[in-house]
Amino acid sequence: MPRDLTTPVLRNVELGHGNFLIEFDGRELGAGMQPAQFFMIGVPGSAALLRRPYSVCGLAGTFDDAPPHAVQVLYKVVGHGTALLAALGPGAPIDVLGPLGRGFSPPARPDARPVIVAGGIGCAPFPALLHWLERSAPWMYYGARTGEDLPLLDWFERHAERVVVTTDDGSRGLRGRVTEPLEELLAEEDPAGLEIYACGPEPMLRAVARIARTRGASCQLSLEAHMACGFGVCLGCVVPTHRPGGDGLVYDRVCVEGPVMQAERLAW
Amino acid sequence: MVKPDLAVTLGPLALRNPVLAASGTFGYGLEFLPFLDLNELGGFVTKGLSPRPRLGNPPPRIVETPAGMLNTIGLQNVGVDTFIADKLPELRRFRTSVVANVFGETEAEFLEVCAKLDGALGVAAIELNVSCPNVEKGGMIFGNDPTALCRVTRACRDATSLPLIVKLSPNVTDIRETARAAADGGADVLSLVNTFVGMAIDVERRRPVLAKISGGLSGPAIRPLAVWMTWQVHRAVPLPLIGIGGIVDARDALEFVLAGASAVQVGTASFIHPDAPLRVLRGIEEYLERHGIATLRELVGAAESGIPA
Repeated sequence: MPRDLTTPVLRNVELGHGNFLIEFDGRELGAGMQPAQFFMIGVPGSAALLRRPYSVCGLAGTFDDAPPHAVQVLYKVVGHGTALLAALGPGAPIDVLGPLGRGFSPPARPDARPVIVAGGIGCAPFPALLHWLERSAPWMYYGARTGEDLPLLDWFERHAERVVVTTDDGSRGLRGRVTEPLEELLAEEDPAGLEIYACGPEPMLRAVARIARTRGASCQLSLEAHMACGFGVCLGCVVPTHRPGGDGLVYDRVCVEGPVMQAERLAW
Repeated sequence: MVKPDLAVTLGPLALRNPVLAASGTFGYGLEFLPFLDLNELGGFVTKGLSPRPRLGNPPPRIVETPAGMLNTIGLQNVGVDTFIADKLPELRRFRTSVVANVFGETEAEFLEVCAKLDGALGVAAIELNVSCPNVEKGGMIFGNDPTALCRVTRACRDATSLPLIVKLSPNVTDIRETARAAADGGADVLSLVNTFVGMAIDVERRRPVLAKISGGLSGPAIRPLAVWMTWQVHRAVPLPLIGIGGIVDARDALEFVLAGASAVQVGTASFIHPDAPLRVLRGIEEYLERHGIATLRELVGAAESGIPA
């Protein structure tokens, strides 16, 4: 059950290159949150009218140095709303509505290996997912434009069984797109033994969905969209999906039917 | 002192209090159950209901603008039959007044939806959506032409015995003309205003932000425009008014009341705080207590006393 509360910032740590990890008191949000569920966060009294959606990055136990009632959100300063958030220090109140949406599900086959595909700041929901699936020895494919756009890479290298890094400019890891080593993996491994979890820019998600479909691998995508409300009433965040049991398409809400959707459901 | 009496009467429509949630910002009401007690609301207006389900417009559909937002949803809705079969039975458990917002592409479609709702238990009133700026057929085409507006209002008036609210478009030269046309057609109540047509351009991509190019502007940015229109219509048409436009708190709502509205609708603010309508209501109650005013009725149009017409 989502809550709308005003809660203090505990920490707001700059990770470098415009990336921040903000931590707030989440003890009133209750337990049982799923990775990739999200919050609508606003700064009280600020000039921004609408809140912004942020997926949960860390839950109890995800980050060793955090108190158990803390919730973490990873964000990159890209505009007005994120700049307001970046200016906050410990004790500053923020408006938090959530948890919202449908998060990631465990692999359809319990013995499947989780394969995480992240693009830049799209890595945000994956610490919570890795913590959740740590015993399934997840592999991670983490791509970005440059080596500076790979927040929390150290953390991922400590918690995933294997991390493959790609950058467009070759400044870190392999030069090229993150989907290239993913394609190689799916050519080598039995796709039925893998469960793909992807989050990142839409072109990357489209490519991951296409690869998963071609190889017949189960694939969950965490989508991002502009949204005004986050709980299903503004209808601003829709994506086209295949009409269940029929021809044509319908528009599903990223905030309620998502943000996690099975790749084959999307009518891209 | 005595608690102020918050009940309001708008012609044939009696509400437990003057604060409603506006169409398109409150879904079918049930989405708000985690956040507020529907029983405390004066009422809410459903998402626009059409004869059949509507897909809506392609994304991007929304963008934030200074003190507001543009939307072009295109009236995505479940259709009137599903509303009556699936949503209304749930809503009957609550004491709040359910106002059905009705949309049609043609006069016949307006009549079809009105007639279906007329026989449905649990609908307190109908609000005609003759002012949606985001659909190609219907919508604003009716709302901007006084003759067409009068005709569709009269046809709906004859099709239903429910209280009939007509929601006015602000995208007109003189809103008093369309207000008079709706009154002549037999409207019981006028609600004003719907969104203002606007657009935003992404200067990096050098393209319109919204897929359908233009959208409807809502939020605090439009409030002074909407208050002025409420003031004008109050002095021109002897019907009860519901003020709408960027109301976030009680002071905003009271501006509309003092300009001539007997009740208000809270819209975009519910996206930001789902209990925004109740925050507005509590603020109005506190204002009346603080000023020793027995009923909100005493304040309706009170900003004009002493000002010559």
